[in-house]
Amino acid sequence: MLVIGIESSAHTFGVGIVDGERIIANEKSSYNVGTWGMIPSKVAEFHISNARATLERAVERAGIDLEEIEGVGYTMGPGIGPCLQVGELTAKTIAAKLNIDIVPVHHGIAHIEIAKKFAKLRDPIALYVSGGNSQILKLVEKPTKHYAVLGETFDIGVGNMLDNFARSIKLNPAWGSSVAKLAEGGKYIPLPYTVKGTDFAFTGLLTSAVEKIGKADPKDIAFSLQETAFSMLCEATERSLLLTNSRELCVCGGVAQSKRLKEMLSDVAKENGARFGYAPDEFNADNGAMIAYAAEKLIEKGISVPVKKCGIEQKYRIDRGLVW
Amino acid sequence: MVSMKIIGKGAEAYIYSTKLFGKEVIVKRRMRKNYRIEALDESIRAARTKREVKVMYLLGKLGINAPKPIAFGKYDIYMSKVDGPLLRDYKHKNAQMFRVVGSVLGKMHNNNIVHGDFTPVNIVVSKGKICLIDFGFSSITNSVEDKAFDLLLMKRAISNAEYENFLAGYISAAANSRMTIARASKIEKMGRYQKRTIDML
Repeated sequence: MLVIGIESSAHTFGVGIVDGERIIANEKSSYNVGTWGMIPSKVAEFHISNARATLERAVERAGIDLEEIEGVGYTMGPGIGPCLQVGELTAKTIAAKLNIDIVPVHHGIAHIEIAKKFAKLRDPIALYVSGGNSQILKLVEKPTKHYAVLGETFDIGVGNMLDNFARSIKLNPAWGSSVAKLAEGGKYIPLPYTVKGTDFAFTGLLTSAVEKIGKADPKDIAFSLQETAFSMLCEATERSLLLTNSRELCVCGGVAQSKRLKEMLSDVAKENGARFGYAPDEFNADNGAMIAYAAEKLIEKGISVPVKKCGIEQKYRIDRGLVW
Repeated sequence: MVSMKIIGKGAEAYIYSTKLFGKEVIVKRRMRKNYRIEALDESIRAARTKREVKVMYLLGKLGINAPKPIAFGKYDIYMSKVDGPLLRDYKHKNAQMFRVVGSVLGKMHNNNIVHGDFTPVNIVVSKGKICLIDFGFSSITNSVEDKAFDLLLMKRAISNAEYENFLAGYISAAANSRMTIARASKIEKMGRYQKRTIDML
């Protein structure tokens, strides 16, 4: 089945097209976060002016006619309201024009499912780490099939934390990979470490790191911030593996592009006799293909939603997201 | 060389049973985690070990049932053995038992001791008596928030009726129970701490 997916929850406007299991297009336009970060109205304006061109590029790359598409999916949430609305409108327009099925997709579920596909894992514990989210999840059957939250952040997402630090220390672009670059060759200085069972919190760590700016070598702060945050995630993940007796682990979401995090998680998996996998970076960053992939599965299962009922939800909880 | 028998493995430590001066004792040894850089790994293991010993010692002084620390190194603790099933697995749970658990926690909080992982998996029923174990996440603090987390972790792991008894015991013993309970409901309403749909424990 030919299905198109629209992603617009944050800085990326993405359009992906799948043909059954095959991804045949994954085009994106990304707002430049510069040193200032994301200003919701500006990002939404960026998406509006790039929606059409991105869509056309995806259709061209797929080598199909738009009219051949049989279903459409879009990110319902979680995400930035004005940004989500652009994707929703784009998807609704396609659905109305082509008179095809439309289905809202939970952003996090799409991230996990695309990781499972690439890593060839059946029933893993998933560490989902991005700007706004940091959660440890597992698909469970009862009382109804859904992603259960085993552990999560009590305050902000790990990506948000790294972005915030990057802005404070004036990196350009102000995001996690710039922090990783700065961290190279740094030495460890103690910072607060907060894990409560399988949950964790990042604001105390962030405040402490920001306070050290100007008082310690930037390299050392960046290195210690990253090591501390990732170690917290690894400890909570290891606990979740043990609690559920799982033998598979995957990592997904924007922060899963970090080489260091993947290296650490691979150690966690090895120590607990678990298989570990992830998707290529292109699919860990926000993208339309994962939305198309999830939408295709949902529509194949006969799950779609009347256009009138399609909306957005900024704080869409993953345990309420549609699964198949 | 005294033989050490592994009797359990947790997320961060191995539990051994061995003999010290002819008496059977338990050893908890925090293992090196390869994913962490050495400096961070050492500081976490050493700090938790030290804090755990301190909390066990303080509980002993307060007359709260817990293993007695006998000796300790940088990453390991030798402690007295506690026999009995975990509260989670105990067959004859009753209302009184949960009231006692609540009042024990109240007494700890009055003395600014927070357990940090207060669930039925970390409570042993030894000869009919409640005995707390595993203080790896404990802290000595007057933070209302940290105390509230002790309530919430227990709430998540037991039934509503059991929690009510637990809370009654807590209120009877804790000096500032109203403030702690109020903070717990505030935490529960936080956007990212909504009631989870299922309980994996």
